[in-house]
Amino acid sequence: MISLYPKQIQQYLKTFFTETNCPIVQESDHHITVQLTIDMDKRIMNRPFYWSYVESTGSEPKSAQLTLITDKNRMGLNIPGEIVHYGSPRLNQLFQVAKERGAFVQLFEDVDNPSAVQTVLTPWLGVNYKITYSSDRTKEMLYSLGMNLMTGAVMDGFQEAVSELKLEAAIPPNTFYLPYIIKPSRAMERLEQLIDDLIGQDDHTWVEEAKVRRERDLQVLEYFYKGIEERPESYEMEKKAIEEQYETKIKVDVINGGLFYVR
Amino acid sequence: MQIEKSSEWKEGLQKRLDGELEWDNWTLYQMCYDVEKRKLIPTFYGLQSPKYLPALTPYPHQLEAAETVIERMNGKAILADEVGLGKTIEAGLILKEYLIRGLVKKALILTPASLLNQWIEELNQKFHIPAIPFNKKYDLNLCNIVVASLDMAKRSPHKENIYNQNYDLVIVDEAHKLKNHKTKNYEFVQSLKKKFCLLLTATPIQNDVFELFHLISLLKPGHLGNFETFQQVFSASKHNVEEDEFLKELINQVMVRNSRQHIGLDWTSRRVQIIPLEFSDKEKEVYKLIANSGEHLQAFSDAFTVMTLKREFCSSKEAAWLTLEKLVGKCQGAEERAYMDELLLKLQSLDLNTKAEKAYEIIKQANDKVIIFTEYHASQTYLQAFLYSKGITSVPFNGKFNKSKREWMKQLFKEKAQVLIATESGSEGINLQFCHHVINYDLPWNPMKVEQRIGRVHRLGQEHDVHIYNLAIKHTIEDYMLELLNTKIGVFEKVVGELDDILSEYRLSI
Repeated sequence: MISLYPKQIQQYLKTFFTETNCPIVQESDHHITVQLTIDMDKRIMNRPFYWSYVESTGSEPKSAQLTLITDKNRMGLNIPGEIVHYGSPRLNQLFQVAKERGAFVQLFEDVDNPSAVQTVLTPWLGVNYKITYSSDRTKEMLYSLGMNLMTGAVMDGFQEAVSELKLEAAIPPNTFYLPYIIKPSRAMERLEQLIDDLIGQDDHTWVEEAKVRRERDLQVLEYFYKGIEERPESYEMEKKAIEEQYETKIKVDVINGGLFYVR
Repeated sequence: MQIEKSSEWKEGLQKRLDGELEWDNWTLYQMCYDVEKRKLIPTFYGLQSPKYLPALTPYPHQLEAAETVIERMNGKAILADEVGLGKTIEAGLILKEYLIRGLVKKALILTPASLLNQWIEELNQKFHIPAIPFNKKYDLNLCNIVVASLDMAKRSPHKENIYNQNYDLVIVDEAHKLKNHKTKNYEFVQSLKKKFCLLLTATPIQNDVFELFHLISLLKPGHLGNFETFQQVFSASKHNVEEDEFLKELINQVMVRNSRQHIGLDWTSRRVQIIPLEFSDKEKEVYKLIANSGEHLQAFSDAFTVMTLKREFCSSKEAAWLTLEKLVGKCQGAEERAYMDELLLKLQSLDLNTKAEKAYEIIKQANDKVIIFTEYHASQTYLQAFLYSKGITSVPFNGKFNKSKREWMKQLFKEKAQVLIATESGSEGINLQFCHHVINYDLPWNPMKVEQRIGRVHRLGQEHDVHIYNLAIKHTIEDYMLELLNTKIGVFEKVVGELDDILSEYRLSI
């Protein structure tokens, strides 16, 4: 994936603030001014003293307005504001907020069903995983897995599949859903087992390669202290640094997930 | 292998299933997944950092250097690009890459005090890395990216506080300050744990090949063997590097060096010339008195004093005067005093400085901004007065100036004055691409200092050819200095690689 272009960032910001209930005060194709909610102000504006002042004196809270500029070069107007781009700290912060507020969902498919027949929805547990391999280098993989909580069937690419559907937080009219047979916590265990299997089947020459690099560096270090009986502290420290540098690790993170009731 | 997992999400899910907490928003959920997909690092190889830095356009050689350090050198390297090719940018790219990949959480950057603010600014503005200056009031546990001056950091109690931190990456700028392994600087950096480590210096060898040995041993002890074996193999003579191909190969495994000629950028050229000068008869007479003083004066009997005086006199009578004044009291007996009086009298009565006249001539001919470098403060003052008498405006510059004064002098030079007269210590950390003429009024012992001087002007961003004038008086100690400088350049080139012209376009044969 490549970097986000100003236009995409503009769209991202607009959606982000709309979804987090921060009213848009003013916008163009290259900038956006929003009225933050108190909640969002506390989360992103980093002014704890103001908020503790407001709370201790009981004065009326005034949350801040924030202007973000996505394309400085094309802005005709001279509006003061923060320039944001892919990689800027502000955008990273908003990504983080999105992550916190988009971690767990429960959704129902809204099937456009003109007939009088009731729609029956099946429960799925969907989880998006990130796997990280690290030594002195890193590599990451995403897996979006879904498990049918009636049959136990597993689906890869679950997120891509459900994002095609029309999903609602409340159950649509004339629709009912089957209660799950497999408990989500149990399904979660099985998905994790599957992730472990996927990792187990993967090519792990990277581990061997890191080991070779570590051994080589350790040998070089030994050479430096060859013939010295009493090794100084710096020897132990260097050795520890090398061990840490090439230590191989595998980490599994859940990005987000939830219950999906789909047809 | 152990697979690291957290149960945090599972617990969060359970709380929602139990109705203790609300479900989240579907749109934010999708946005979050999209961002993760975008941020994914799909391979062990290549650089992720450039796509996070749309405002920065690194040169190809800088990207290549960053990649080489991470992939081929496993994050332990000497960045030894020639002055002005952007070692800071390379270091910034590497740091950023490790931060993005989550391999570095805490980093320590050690610099000369004069470059500290420049680092803070560049890291924050160009790389969006929240670096902060070292401050004894801050809790280092809470500061992840810290820039400290080496001089400050190596002292107690800062030293101990820094040792208590677990830094993933240590960067040392102007790392030639670590060339001597018996110094506090060296000891301090040696005692730091270095998981990843970058040493930045354009001049990894200043005098002899052992400096490079110590630098590499700091980075990767054992890479060049231990001192005994290294000495046996490479020190038939300090200046003669044998088996240099083998050594070069080893060095290339831990060092990246780009030279102007090889990075494929359209560089302006460097016109370097030695301008040999002949003393006037009167000056010759004084020089002779100084040269012979060892035989006549007890206080001058050590070779070092005489050598110093010779060098000073080749610069200006003012520079020599200061040293002589201190020695007057040490003269004993009528004979000695008479010799000294004659020397002082003749020195005082000199009304012409051959070198200064030549410098003036060059300035007039250039009809443009000129930087003059001198080793001596007294010569600096003299030159300023001398040029003033000829109607040429100049500003002084030296390393003792604080940051705002430096900036002010630079501004004055850019806008008002024709000449900037700098002493040695002024040759680090100022960039003067708007100037295209450099006069080395006198020469230092160390060729890398000459390179540092020229690098103030001949760096990325220079649009004109740069003219370098090295002034040297014939039949004096300056002949010998030129020869020695050439020998040292020879050692450097054998081991480290080609050096752009610094003395002249045609090397003197050694």
